Amino acid sequence: MQRVIEARGITRIYPGGTVANDGVSLVVRPGEVHAVVGENGAGKSTLMKILFGIEKPDAGDLLIDGREARFEGPRDAIDRGVGMVFQHFSLVPSFTVYENVVLGSEPRAGARFDRAAAIERVRHLSETFRLKVDPEAQTRTLPVGQQQRVEILKALYRDAKILILDEPTAVLAPQEVDELFTAIRTLTAEGRTVIFIAHKLPEVLEISDRITVMRAGKTVGEVVAAETSEPQLAAMMVGREVALRVDRSTHDGPRAVTVENLTLKADTGVTLAENLSLNVHEGEIVGLVGVEGNGQAELLEAVAGLRAVSSGDIRLKDTSLTALSVLERRHLGLSSIPEDRLAEGLAVESTTAENLVATRLDDPRFAKRGLLNLRAIRAHATALIDRFSIRVGGPEFKVGTLSGGNMQKVVVARELSEQPVVLLVNQPTRGVDLGATQFIWKSITDARDKGAAVLLSSADLSELLALSDRLVVFYHGRIVAAFRNSEALTAETLGSYMLGADRMDDGQMEAALR
Amino acid sequence: MIELLTAVFSVTFFVTVIRASTPLVFATMGGLISDLSGALNVALEGMMLIAALTSVIVSAYAPWWVGVLAGVSAGAMLGAVMALFHLRLKADIILVGFGVNILATGGTVFALSLATGGDKGTSINLPSKAIPRVNLPFLEDVPVLNLLHGHSLLSWFAVLTVVAIWYFLYRTPWGLWLRGVGEYPAAPEAAGVNVRQVRTWALVASGALSGLGGAQLAMFNYVGFTRDMTAGRGFIALGAVLLGARHPIGALFAALLFGVFEALSIVMPNLFSWIPGELIQTIPFVVTVLALILLSIRAQRALKARGVAN
Amino acid sequence: MNDKTALRLSTALREGSRALLALVIALLVAFLLVLLTSDEPMRAFQTFLTAPLGSARTRGLWIDDVAKLTLTGLAFSLVFQARQFSLGVQGQVYVGGLFAALVALSPIGQTWLAIPLGMLAAMLTGAAYGFLPGYAKARFGASEIVSSLMFNYIAIRVVNWVTRAHLAPEGSGQLSSPDFPDTAVFPALIPGTRFDLGILFALIATGVVWFLLYRTVWGLKLRLVGDNARFAEYAGIKSKAVMVSAMTVSGAIGGLLGAVYVQGRAFGRIDIDFDANLAFEGILVAIVAKNRPLAVPFVAIAYGYMRQGAQFMGLRTDVPTEMLAVAQALIILLVASQFNVPFAKTIARLRGRRPGGKSREART
Repeated sequence: MQRVIEARGITRIYPGGTVANDGVSLVVRPGEVHAVVGENGAGKSTLMKILFGIEKPDAGDLLIDGREARFEGPRDAIDRGVGMVFQHFSLVPSFTVYENVVLGSEPRAGARFDRAAAIERVRHLSETFRLKVDPEAQTRTLPVGQQQRVEILKALYRDAKILILDEPTAVLAPQEVDELFTAIRTLTAEGRTVIFIAHKLPEVLEISDRITVMRAGKTVGEVVAAETSEPQLAAMMVGREVALRVDRSTHDGPRAVTVENLTLKADTGVTLAENLSLNVHEGEIVGLVGVEGNGQAELLEAVAGLRAVSSGDIRLKDTSLTALSVLERRHLGLSSIPEDRLAEGLAVESTTAENLVATRLDDPRFAKRGLLNLRAIRAHATALIDRFSIRVGGPEFKVGTLSGGNMQKVVVARELSEQPVVLLVNQPTRGVDLGATQFIWKSITDARDKGAAVLLSSADLSELLALSDRLVVFYHGRIVAAFRNSEALTAETLGSYMLGADRMDDGQMEAALR
Repeated sequence: MIELLTAVFSVTFFVTVIRASTPLVFATMGGLISDLSGALNVALEGMMLIAALTSVIVSAYAPWWVGVLAGVSAGAMLGAVMALFHLRLKADIILVGFGVNILATGGTVFALSLATGGDKGTSINLPSKAIPRVNLPFLEDVPVLNLLHGHSLLSWFAVLTVVAIWYFLYRTPWGLWLRGVGEYPAAPEAAGVNVRQVRTWALVASGALSGLGGAQLAMFNYVGFTRDMTAGRGFIALGAVLLGARHPIGALFAALLFGVFEALSIVMPNLFSWIPGELIQTIPFVVTVLALILLSIRAQRALKARGVAN
Repeated sequence: MNDKTALRLSTALREGSRALLALVIALLVAFLLVLLTSDEPMRAFQTFLTAPLGSARTRGLWIDDVAKLTLTGLAFSLVFQARQFSLGVQGQVYVGGLFAALVALSPIGQTWLAIPLGMLAAMLTGAAYGFLPGYAKARFGASEIVSSLMFNYIAIRVVNWVTRAHLAPEGSGQLSSPDFPDTAVFPALIPGTRFDLGILFALIATGVVWFLLYRTVWGLKLRLVGDNARFAEYAGIKSKAVMVSAMTVSGAIGGLLGAVYVQGRAFGRIDIDFDANLAFEGILVAIVAKNRPLAVPFVAIAYGYMRQGAQFMGLRTDVPTEMLAVAQALIILLVASQFNVPFAKTIARLRGRRPGGKSREART
């Protein structure tokens, strides 16, 4: 049997003592699509980083084309024909597509960078592998799906025989996924090997030839895609039956938030959202569906008071929010779980207690006449640490010392410590493990059941479908469809609206927009 | 007023502007290179000062061009030191920069005193040399072209440098690397470019360019070293990088603008003896602050014009 | 409560020992420099290490430096905690000093109001001067590093001009104002020395800054803005207002230092270029103290001692005072970097090499 990659007994222990890979083995054959599946934290990413030379294994052997490989860095991996496309793209935004593709191995004419040759080669690659993208476009203007193609082109330009794709579908709409799969099939037809990391099983079964399942840092087994099924894979991945089940809302409260003809613009003048109108009622979750960058995040920022409104109105009950500060909105009962906890949800050099009280600095319990009540702040923190079971040494410990899941719990604890009237949530479970996901979902639905009006945005369609009572679809800053959630509603239906292939007229949306 | 205008529209004034601008242009290019690589170099001032002293001391014992080279090497070495502390030992680049500046302020006086046997103010006792002036006598009487007559050799080299830096940044692969490293280091990193190496070279180049500026200052603008002779030029250069929109040609014009005002502060005392010298000396600094603020206001206006609220 | 104190203690110990290590390395390098350059290295180094303790007068000079370094260190710590690289303390010292001098030289100078009003005037002008680059940044986005430095150069030149042309006795050619009346000069705490009210004000300022930063809402907001400005905005804190107010309060401390300068016993008048660059050395004090106000006076004591030692070494031996710059730069670079592991090895190597250094000494 031919093996393009063979990993034996790979073990990687991180400095903190976490065993990320524990005697993992992986066999990949030439020309196949090989999926590696497992829950978050199963060790897939670490294994891939070892294959690409970013991490060095503490034990075990890696063979590429039957020859031993010891990578000191990605450069070595690239030299041996391994390429990797990360979930977070590494593209310079102001560069053109061809500049990004050739960066680091530019065609040269003497000391000069040969632009014409670069453009030509990128165009040629893009045609050969059916990865359609304009070589001379500026990267920051491209949609996510095309940026991903640029990443794949980067690897192909470096003559990658083995292509590792790390959760490539996580950021794509269903139709874009189809285009990606077409490209993957072209790649294998041209003799390249693709390693595909994922946790969405239907996609895995559709695209891959064989599947390696990982759980808790170990290889559980290898199966042929045609001979397995979704439940079987799921059981292998989790080791037990786990169903993240969420009960639908039973409430039918009065209207809480009204967004009316809202238009938002970026600093550069580009329109981010146009003429948005939607309502959220007490005790329901409204899911904002859309490929990232179509205006959902901007809507949340505008409601939170972090983004100026160009025209239109946002009302909470009968109060217009547009002229109010962030703090005034918070006083009216607005809470917000932001997209990126490190960038805007936490101050990592400050203590847990300080982070937990940061949004309540004018609450007389914690501050009187400009002075802090340290005892009350500490007691508040201790209570929340207990209630949300945050694993931390104490209120005085810096937030930066916590794990990702516990950091996210600090954010959730702060925002849900008191029952909100309106709750804004963006990507609540990105990069957190299954246990924390369950906990966070429960916290959100609890808040809903106590009457909060929730606006939820997520890149994960299954999360949106699991949590939302109603869904609105964004495309190019406009609402193009609205649904009441039901068992009949599928990701594919949403997908056709997310990509702008379809749109509802106002009459069709009316019922679901209430 | 008439006197001022006649003075300003004279060939001598033009020569003064170019003389005043040359150190600024070099320092600005140095600031630009490191800024584009993602490391704000606040040590331009200290690098210039140390290079100025080095070139003065060396040129006292060697040909002028060896003095210049010594200044350049001193600047480059300081750049390497900054790279060591910032990139390897993970110190904040601004703090490292101020470490270098503090070293320069006192260290140059210390070294000067060692080199001269006790002088702490100036190098008047050192027979240091000057950078040659490029005289083009046949142009002296030709209108307009006579403006080319009588500049420092390094002023001509400065023009070449700006063009070379532009070519480097926008026409060579290494320029692409440098800009990529500054804008989004993860991208070149993933493409196998050694980000730390690129930044190290950027800091070294930044130091070498500031070194050229220091050499010009102490071997042409003035011949000899005086304590604190850079007098804020390194920081003005930092302002010029911002004002020039982080582009070599823009930065060149910003440096020339500041050069004009420095030249004004040089010629004004002769014309207006009633204005106190101290106040005239503030001109370059006031202009820098105003230019920074005007630049920012203009940027905001541009945004508003495109229809953004607030 | 116990684990909290233990945590703080261990952090303080770890960082304190790092600072101490940096100091030792800097001293070693300074010693090496003296060895290489001096004809009488042992005497020079002895002067450096012991002279400040020599007499009541020299101890007064040291304490005077400690007071001034504490104030400038506090001013820098405050803006650094808000992560603003505003470097305008020097300019604030000059404008503050000028206005304190104007009060002292006015008829008020003859009354008991001279000291409190002089200080108040200095703090107000210092605050205004600190506000300017802050406002330029918050309103227009002008880089505070560049603008605050430009403001320094402007202040020094303008204040020098006023001093020379308007405060100095006319036609005297002096570069300083006449001496202030006794009522306008800080009384000495120990007669005949520079040990005056300045140190008291510095300690009070330390307590005030600590209280502001760690016990008030404003202080917590300032620290949160310094930690993550985007998060602060998201939490409803007006980060721009906090930045500007931090620079303004820091400016008031800078201005106060100006008053301590001109009204202190060291001067009792205003001279041109009176701060001799001390104001800038607050950067060093703040960095070594990790911007923590309660650590600032301790760093000022140690650093002030080195500073005075270097002064005496410059006066009494053939090693110039400015040699200290090398030690200063090293301390900044070492404290700012993470040198835990690699430098532990270097130290071990340095220790191993010390005999080599001594043989060099024997040769000279």
